Amino acid sequence: MNQVSDFYDSAHRPSLMLEELRAVWRYRDLLAQLIARNLTVRYKRSILGFAWTMLNPLLMMTILTLVFSNVFRVTLEHYAVYVLSALVLWNFFAQATSAAMSELAWGSGLFQRIYMPRAIFVLAAIGTNLVNLLLAMIPLAVIMLATGVPFRPALLFLPVPIGLTALFALGIGLVLAVLAVSFADIVDIYQVALTAWLYLTPIIYPPEIVPAQWRGLFALNPLYGLLELFRQPIYAGVLPAFDLIVAMSALAFGVVAFGWWFFARNVDGLAYRI
Amino acid sequence: MDWRTASERELALRLDDVAVRYRVPHERVASLKELAIRRLQRRVQFSDFWALREISFTARRGEVIGIVGKNGAGKSTLLKVIARVLRPTNGRVRIAGAVAPLLEFGAGFHPELTGRENVFLNGALLGFTRAQMREKYERIVEFAELGEFMDAPLRTYSSGMVARLGFAIATDIVPEILILDEVLAVGDAMFQRKSFERILKFRAAGATILLVSHNLDAVKSLCERALWLEHGRILADGPAATVVDHYQFGDSAIQRAPGMLAPEQRWGTRRVEITDVRIKNYNGDAQTIFATGDALILKVDYRAHQPTAGLTFGMAIHRHDGMHITGPNTSFAGLTLPTLDGCGTVTFSIAHLPLLEGLYHISVSAHATDASEMYDYHDRAYPLRVVNTDACRERYGIISVRGRWSHTPREIE
Repeated sequence: MNQVSDFYDSAHRPSLMLEELRAVWRYRDLLAQLIARNLTVRYKRSILGFAWTMLNPLLMMTILTLVFSNVFRVTLEHYAVYVLSALVLWNFFAQATSAAMSELAWGSGLFQRIYMPRAIFVLAAIGTNLVNLLLAMIPLAVIMLATGVPFRPALLFLPVPIGLTALFALGIGLVLAVLAVSFADIVDIYQVALTAWLYLTPIIYPPEIVPAQWRGLFALNPLYGLLELFRQPIYAGVLPAFDLIVAMSALAFGVVAFGWWFFARNVDGLAYRI
Repeated sequence: MDWRTASERELALRLDDVAVRYRVPHERVASLKELAIRRLQRRVQFSDFWALREISFTARRGEVIGIVGKNGAGKSTLLKVIARVLRPTNGRVRIAGAVAPLLEFGAGFHPELTGRENVFLNGALLGFTRAQMREKYERIVEFAELGEFMDAPLRTYSSGMVARLGFAIATDIVPEILILDEVLAVGDAMFQRKSFERILKFRAAGATILLVSHNLDAVKSLCERALWLEHGRILADGPAATVVDHYQFGDSAIQRAPGMLAPEQRWGTRRVEITDVRIKNYNGDAQTIFATGDALILKVDYRAHQPTAGLTFGMAIHRHDGMHITGPNTSFAGLTLPTLDGCGTVTFSIAHLPLLEGLYHISVSAHATDASEMYDYHDRAYPLRVVNTDACRERYGIISVRGRWSHTPREIE
C-alpha cells in the first residue's frame, strides 16, 4: 500500500519543498485521475464536448480578425494566425492559473480530512489545460493551412515554449491558489488583472502600434517573451533569438521555484483555517 | 523511519504533549480588501484558541479507542493531527502504520462521473494506485451491492447508495490504523449492520481503530478503551464503559466500593459499619442498569463491632438532580431487628421498580431507631440507571404507578 509512508513523526521535518515533491510522485496516479476527471466532466457536460475547446479560440480569432482588419485597419500579413497562435497560449495560461485556484479550493474539503499532497490539485489544473492547449492547436494548424502559412521545421521547437509557459503558470498558480483559499476576492481581482494583462500584451495587436519609446516596457512583461517563443516558429517560421530562450527559461524556472517554495511554506497553514 | 524503541514494538501511535493552537481573527478577514483596510488601520487582532492541549497517549496495535466529548472539545482536531493533515503547534505525533481515514459521506465524489469512474477517483484520493484499484474493484462493487448501477452517473444514486459506495471503497482492505468520524450512521439499517460487522472484523484482524461518535452505545460496544476530551484536554482515559459513564453522568455514575467513598459521602460513628452494598436483579446478578418495572434487590452487608440493639436500616433514592424520591426503612416497615453482633446482610426487595428513565442514586444507612446515633450513612453513593423499554413506554414525570386504563362506552338512550 502506498498510502502514507508507514512511519510518521511530526517532529521530523525534512525540507517541505522536497517532501511535497516526493509525495506528488507517490500520488502520480491521483494526478492522472484528476486530469481524466476534469476532461471527462467537461466532455460530458456539453454536447460539443472537446470540440468546444477548439471552437472557442476559433470564434475569438474570427471576431478579432474582423474587428482589427476592418475597424482598426491593422494591415498585418496572416493576422488570423498571428492572433490565434498567441491566443491559444494565452488561454492556456489564463485558464490554468484560474483553475489552480478553484481546484485547490475544491481539494481543501478533502485534504483537511485525509492526507494527500496538496500541490497535486494545482498540478491537475495545469495538466488539464495542457491537454486543452494541445487540442486547441488542431484548429490553429487548420487555419495555417487555410491561410497559406507554411509549416517550417522551427515548429519542432514548440515543446520548449509550451513547457516553459506551463512551468510559469504552475509557479503563478501555486501562489494564487494558496492565497485564494484565505482570501476569496483574489479570484475576482485576478480576473480583472487578467483582462488588463491581455490588453497590455501584444497578443491581438502587433507591438509596432505602440510608440517606440514605450516599447521597451514589453520586456518587463514575462508573458510577452513566452508568447514570442511560441509565436515566432509558427507565424514567422523561425527560431526565436537565443538570449530570449535563455532569459525565459531562467524566468520560468525561477517563478516555479518561488511558487513551490511559497506553496510548501504556507500550505500547512491552510489546515489551521476553521 | 521506525521511531519505536524495542519496548514499543506494539505501538501504533504515540502522542507526546501535543497542542494545537488556532489563531482566530477577532473579526474574520475573508477578503484581501478587508485585510488591506484592517492592516492600514492596524486593527487585525488575533486571539489564540487552543484546540488541543497537553495531549499524551499511546495506542497499541489492535486497540479500538472511542473518543467522546462535546462539540468543540477537540475531537476532530485530534483526528486531523493523527491523520497528519494538521501539524501540531507543540508536541510530537508519531505514527507507525498507514492511516486510513474514512471520508465524510460523499466527499470526493463527482456527480457527473459514473460509479465506476468515481471508485477509481476516490481510491486515488485515498492513495491507491490504479493497479491496486483494479484489483479491489470487484470486491468493492459486491460489498456496496451496486453491481448494475456502476455505469450510471453518480447523480442518479440515492444518498444511501453513495454512502455504501464510499464505505466500501475506504474499507476494502484491513487498514493498519482506521479513523472513523461519525460515519457509522450512514445507509439503511441493513447496511449499518453490515458496516458494523466489517469494523468488528477489522478489530479482530488487529487494526487500530479510532472512533469518534455521539452514539455512546456504539462506543461502549465497539471500544475497549475511551478518551474523554473536554476543552482540548484529556479528561479521562480508561475502559470505555467507565469513561462513557463518566462523560454521560459525571463523576457520580461510577460505582464505588464503600471504602472508596469520599468523606463528604459517608459519615457516622461506625459502631455498626455497612461493609458492602450490592444492587442485583431478580436472578441475583449484580446490575446497575434496570428497566422500569424490573425487580431490584438491594443487599446491605453490615458488621456490628459491638452488640447493638434498636437498630434501623434504611435506604433512599434520589434523582440525578437531587430530588428525594423515596426513603423506606426497616422501622417504617415494622421489621424489628434483634440485638445484632458481627456480620449479616439486610435485604430490601422492590418487586417492580416504578422509576422512569434517568440516573438515580441510592443511599443506605444504619442508625439507632430513636435517631440518637447515626452509625453509618452512605449518601447517594450507588448509581442506578433506569432505561426505557417496550415494557414501559411512559416518559412523563418520575414514576410509573402501574395503573390500568379501561374504557366503557355509554349507550345513547
